[in-house]
Amino acid sequence: MTSTVKPDVSPEWHGEDVMIRDVLDALTQIRDKFARAEAGDDEHIHPRNCVMTLIGVAPSEAHEELARRTTLTIGTQHPAQAIVIREEAPIRGRHLDAWITSEVRRSEVACAWQCEIITLHVHGRAAEHLAELVDPLLVSGVPTYLWWLGTPPFGKKELVDALRVCDGLVVDSARFEEPYNSFRRMAALLKVAHHRLGIADVQWARLRPWRESIAQFFTPVERRGFLSGISEIGVDYAGQGRGNRIAAALITGWIAAALGWKLKRAAAGTGGVVVAHYEAGNRFIEVDFRPVAKDHLASGEVSAVRIGGASQGTTFRLSVQHDPVRRPALSEPAYRSLHHAGGEDDAGMELAERRAEWHRDVLHENLDSLHHTATGDPPGESRPKRPRVLTTERRRPDSTRVLLTMIEIGDGAPLRHVQQMEPEDEPALLLDLLSTGTHDDVYNRSLAAASELVDKF
Amino acid sequence: MKVEEAPNPLAEGLHDYRVADPAVMVIFGATGDLSGRKLLPALYNLAKQRSLPAGFAVVGTGRDDLTDQAFRKHAADKIHEFSRTQPIDDRVLAALLDSLTYVKVEFSKLEDFKTLAAKLQELDNTRLIPGNRIFYCATPPTTYELIAVQLQAAGLNTSPGFRRIVIEKPFGLDLKSARALTETLHKVFPEDSVYRIDHYLGKETVQNILAFRFANAIFEPVWNTNLIDSVQITVAEDIGLENRGSYYDRTGALRDIVQNHGLQLVALVAMEPPLAFEATAVRDEKVKVLRAIRPLIGEDIEQSTVRGQYAKGWVLGEQVGGYREEPDVAPESPTETFAALRLFIDNWRWAGVPFYIRAGKRLPKRITEIRIQFKRPPHLTFGREAMKEVDPNALTLRIQPEEGISLKFGAKVPSAGLRIRSVTMDFQYMTSFLVEAPEAYERLLLDCMIGDPTLFTRADEVEAAWMFIDPIEESWRNGRPPLGTYPAGMWGPPAAAQLLQADGREWHRP
Repeated sequence: MTSTVKPDVSPEWHGEDVMIRDVLDALTQIRDKFARAEAGDDEHIHPRNCVMTLIGVAPSEAHEELARRTTLTIGTQHPAQAIVIREEAPIRGRHLDAWITSEVRRSEVACAWQCEIITLHVHGRAAEHLAELVDPLLVSGVPTYLWWLGTPPFGKKELVDALRVCDGLVVDSARFEEPYNSFRRMAALLKVAHHRLGIADVQWARLRPWRESIAQFFTPVERRGFLSGISEIGVDYAGQGRGNRIAAALITGWIAAALGWKLKRAAAGTGGVVVAHYEAGNRFIEVDFRPVAKDHLASGEVSAVRIGGASQGTTFRLSVQHDPVRRPALSEPAYRSLHHAGGEDDAGMELAERRAEWHRDVLHENLDSLHHTATGDPPGESRPKRPRVLTTERRRPDSTRVLLTMIEIGDGAPLRHVQQMEPEDEPALLLDLLSTGTHDDVYNRSLAAASELVDKF
Repeated sequence: MKVEEAPNPLAEGLHDYRVADPAVMVIFGATGDLSGRKLLPALYNLAKQRSLPAGFAVVGTGRDDLTDQAFRKHAADKIHEFSRTQPIDDRVLAALLDSLTYVKVEFSKLEDFKTLAAKLQELDNTRLIPGNRIFYCATPPTTYELIAVQLQAAGLNTSPGFRRIVIEKPFGLDLKSARALTETLHKVFPEDSVYRIDHYLGKETVQNILAFRFANAIFEPVWNTNLIDSVQITVAEDIGLENRGSYYDRTGALRDIVQNHGLQLVALVAMEPPLAFEATAVRDEKVKVLRAIRPLIGEDIEQSTVRGQYAKGWVLGEQVGGYREEPDVAPESPTETFAALRLFIDNWRWAGVPFYIRAGKRLPKRITEIRIQFKRPPHLTFGREAMKEVDPNALTLRIQPEEGISLKFGAKVPSAGLRIRSVTMDFQYMTSFLVEAPEAYERLLLDCMIGDPTLFTRADEVEAAWMFIDPIEESWRNGRPPLGTYPAGMWGPPAAAQLLQADGREWHRP
């Protein structure tokens, strides 16, 4: 539990047309003042606590605002030093404009700490030498992460230089301009980056609940064999075009890399569907990428993943849906048959309809004899029209951020499992990535496999 | 390795990803205090972290005649009140409540257990659960044996999946009763299916003792009698009995805290490195330590133990009554609310190093810590005058509430002269990682679902602890040493300080 001692976030220091040396001097004074104030009468000044340096590079004012807000949120929970660099800022002098904002947080059970945000406005050639700019400010002995908002200049010297002083590069591939090309360039960067460097992708953190839900299905030992029985995967994503298939490709790349599948080909099909074929031993797996119109999802967001197959004579089907929505009701049904949907959403409806359809088909196949039994009319006479069978159930109005898993194994009754996705929250996503460092082998392998797939797109 | 035995490749890299197989958790005493304060909120938080598998179900049982709906309402209320994460996410809660049902069970009625069995079978069928069962006894310890017997009689120990029983401390009131309990449980469940919860072991900082010792190369070489002078373990509570008078008055601090939490901490500090962080290896090493504790017998008990009972006093700025004024406590009760003892571990590593343990209620503050006091340097290079403000090096492992580790060492005071003073290097668990620590019950419940008993106490550990405690308890019952008193808000009776003073040491003030 923490509380803000000094809610004032106006800058503690500001300098125009200053140099890094001035910023360092100001920083030293601010730290000294805080340490002495905290020590009180005690001769012993408590050591400064810092877990990382987070550098945010902001290409625009909006990005700068986002970076400042996010780093402040993180810094007030975890002692950190944040540096926000605004590139190509409209400054008048030859050097830098700089601000230092600090906020003291005092925990009920631990020593107070000071969150520092150093904002630097740079322009011209200084922006191309970020490493030299920030190096003197870095805290020794703790990791340094470079969070590049927007689209990093992949392939350019400016980025490679900046990465020299960093342990990790954090990006959000969901927010790249030219996502198709930028994603491929990012994958290429991983091949040439220094060995210490890790790449972390906020989009990968966003996919974590999907990965968990899919992994969960195969966790019970008796279902482990299903992994080698997967024959088809369907991935629905919002938006159109190859640039919106990045998240879908990452999910697919993750599964393919984990299970050792080899990509054979990918081709466009009808209705915007792209089909990829993988090979696993002597089996083939078909992956369908289907664009869907979902207004509440951002372009490129994954809407659903379906995995099906069979193992040792048992069929299985897993479907994970994001924010399942109810289908529009059909008007004036011929008759209404209520099959319990087991839920209030799209997937439940689909199941109930499937059951209803099966009943209808059985009914229809035996229609003549049933009609004869019921009415005494000769078979084939006054035969009723094929009925439409509908299911209806109310739906909670707020189904957002829900991940609905449907499990069907063999002839068993389908099982629904509702899980909650955390609200879209930049600091939380960043923390998720940074808490374990940016060296994620699984991501690297998934990125490579996704990049291979994206190349085929 | 068969495909089924291999790790799930899709789970790789999902840090903190731990998902159990689908199972039904039966909570006996589901409307009780432990369930409401700890278990149901822990389940909610596990659901929120997406750690509960699809199909997971909870069956609450109790003597009350509740409907499923009423039990769900009760659970929702408790989760709202006691969950560590707030505000409550309604959708997570709704999904969890959907998996809750209730069956009325009176432990003496076999028919009730048969009704329970039918309910479990029904859940297996509807929720794709392959017969996996966890029976959680959130009930008084006196009921454990009856529950086990009835589970067996109702055939509930023979489902096709796994079957585990979870029991809370105390595991018996002495060696004899602990053995009897184990014997009864073993007739129904094998030892590897018995999960004895000592929630202290679920605390992150307790687990961190092992990480600290065995994930770092620099500490083990000094972790022995050559450089360590003594070890102090403090388990202090500022609260009184909190309506547990009838239980506590029969138990006392020695059996309530020292026998389990206290000796578990001793074991973790003193154990040899296990081959792996794996149940058998870790618990084997702990048992070796517990068995190596030199028994206290006869006069040793009078010289090496202190017992006390709080009288009225002041705690945290408020006046509080004495122990004997607490509800459900006998007016002349001889039960100790404070226990302190000195013990030695007779093995190569710890020969001659005293371990001091103190535990009690109504002490000045709630704190649990382990202090490793190192020996003084063999030679005073800077002279006695320069070193007069220097304490010996000390490493403090703070378990709660300020979780962390601090190391005290000498440093030169900035000045023209040469003066050395003790300074502290501090690691704070709460702020040093970018993640929140889970609550102990969340960790332990999930461990139990997954089938990892590393952080649970094994029967031989329990017995080894009772073997050490029983003679002390017996001596105390005979009035040796006499029961001291201390005003609430003090660090025990005067004899506690004298225990260390006799050795030329003093208790560290936490």
